[in-house]
Amino acid sequence: MDVVPFVFDVAAYSAIFVLVVLGLGIIASMMGIFNFAHGEFVLLGAYTVYLVEGTGMPSWFGMLLAPLCVAIVGLVLERLVIRRFYAAPVVAMLGTYAIALVLREGVRGLLGGQFYNVSAPLVGSFGLGHFSISKWRSAVIVITVVVMVGCYLLLVRTRFGLQMRASLENPALARASGISTSRVYAATFALGAGLAGLAGGLMVPIYSLNADLGVPFLIKSFLAVMLGGMGSFEGSVAGAALVGATSAALPWVIKPVVANLLVFLIAIVIVKFRPEGLLSRWRS
Amino acid sequence: MGTMPLMQENSGGRQRAPAYRRVLPWIEIALLVAAIPLPWLVEDFWILFATKVLILGLLAISFDMVWGFGGIMSFGQALFFGVAGYTAALIATKLDVTSVLVLLPTAAVTGLLSALVLAIIVILGRRPTTVVFVALGTLTGSYVVERLARGWSYVGGQNGISSLPRLTIGGVEIEEGILFYFMALGILATVYVLVRLLMRSQFGLVLAGIRQQESRIAFLGYRVQNYKGVVFSLGGLIAGTAGGMYAFHEGFMGPGQLGPVLSTQVVLYALFGGVGTLIGPIIGVGLIEIMSYALSQYWETGWPIVLGLLLLALVMFRPTGIMGLLVSDRERVGSFGRPKQAADPVAGTRHEAA
Repeated sequence: MDVVPFVFDVAAYSAIFVLVVLGLGIIASMMGIFNFAHGEFVLLGAYTVYLVEGTGMPSWFGMLLAPLCVAIVGLVLERLVIRRFYAAPVVAMLGTYAIALVLREGVRGLLGGQFYNVSAPLVGSFGLGHFSISKWRSAVIVITVVVMVGCYLLLVRTRFGLQMRASLENPALARASGISTSRVYAATFALGAGLAGLAGGLMVPIYSLNADLGVPFLIKSFLAVMLGGMGSFEGSVAGAALVGATSAALPWVIKPVVANLLVFLIAIVIVKFRPEGLLSRWRS
Repeated sequence: MGTMPLMQENSGGRQRAPAYRRVLPWIEIALLVAAIPLPWLVEDFWILFATKVLILGLLAISFDMVWGFGGIMSFGQALFFGVAGYTAALIATKLDVTSVLVLLPTAAVTGLLSALVLAIIVILGRRPTTVVFVALGTLTGSYVVERLARGWSYVGGQNGISSLPRLTIGGVEIEEGILFYFMALGILATVYVLVRLLMRSQFGLVLAGIRQQESRIAFLGYRVQNYKGVVFSLGGLIAGTAGGMYAFHEGFMGPGQLGPVLSTQVVLYALFGGVGTLIGPIIGVGLIEIMSYALSQYWETGWPIVLGLLLLALVMFRPTGIMGLLVSDRERVGSFGRPKQAADPVAGTRHEAA
């Protein structure tokens, strides 16, 4: 087994996966909602890039536009629907599942059940020894790291991040201190949706666009968030990195079907015995 | 965090408490009376359609028992349904067994065992698990098993197992049609009565208490996790029976019958009809299947969108489903003991909690 392509493959998949989980994790942690429509936000991001490219503009422009568009969709949905579900996590699951169904089938109708390819802004590859490394995948890894650091700084260093963390920690007290938690929640949801849109936009040149693009990520992302522990930014990232790396690495060793099964089983069992998440001990 | 069936409680419950008319038994009797002469009144296609509704109705009440009465959000009902159906189909094709007396009990036990395994992972144990964990755990299970079935050539991979033989009983083939219809109706009615009795028994009373306030029941000395495990496994048993019948009625079992799509479809059936009424989910299956059939004639790709909008409207505006229109909250959630009794423990707790 060659080490370089293996490491690169694992890193590239993990990077995309972390990006997907980041948005989901922020929404789940801050609002206690497992957003079943997250995969469809990813899909909408990818679809935006496809549409932009269809008008003749370069695809990198679509990738800039995708997070904005999806964030607006997220904002509208939050104001209309999601905010009714804050106190009831199970109802939220059903509601977001319904949204997911509508979005996915809507896009399927627009795409006509076809697969479409979107070209990457960076084509080709560069050599490393006698291996070739895809330029776009490398760029995705870099962008993921930048976005991750950006999110961390947003949460820890800005006024908005402080308000978000306050609303998570103690909503009543946050409201008493003059923070509009409802507005913070709306912004948080839009942020999470925007991150999903970005992930979708970046991944669409790698996976071709079809209506089920986001589906395989969804359940894995839930597990990653639970694995890392809800309520922490680092937890979601660590959980995502772990699940992403494992599920990319295992198929190199054992049959993909069995690998999939193993990843899920291990994750569920770990979450059962450490429901507060893997990082809880380290944090306390 | 109230479980959903109880979300809209206490709207003037106290005033209504002294006298209320029982509506549910009349609906139940009316549906049964309507179901008996049905096969002689409609064309063959609709007999098959009605049989499918009865079988899916069985699946729907298994979900209603687990969620509406047990308060466990299970996205895994299709898993038990499918695993049991696959097992029965494999036995029929590989071992040439066609007797219904072997295959359906096997399916039921398979459903029970698969639910038990899943319960051990997501419900049982020293620490109580959260409702979100159970929901995501069952969803994951359903997803994983579907993936497994799709990739495993022994069980037919993507294509599933097709051209199943007909079920037999004592040398007589149970043809899809009137005979199969009455078998499904008989099983559904029997299971329905048994579940109804169980949910109105002391066991059901404990479940109601768990739904209301889990910690209080635990303080009273009940092993909450075990009660949940039992109701979850019984749900698996019923779903398994439905899966066994479905496989032989359709003559086919595929990975689609295992996965999250059917699992969530079941949730929709129950929500639409009315969770916690048992009869509601069956009505839900009937109405949704008819709508689905009618709409897919004209606009095939539009049906899932309509389904999604319907589900969204339900959870936002009418969480009690259709039955919520006909049946009072008090009757829907259930009362225990004789209606005349002054002390109605569940109603008492409810108002107190509210």
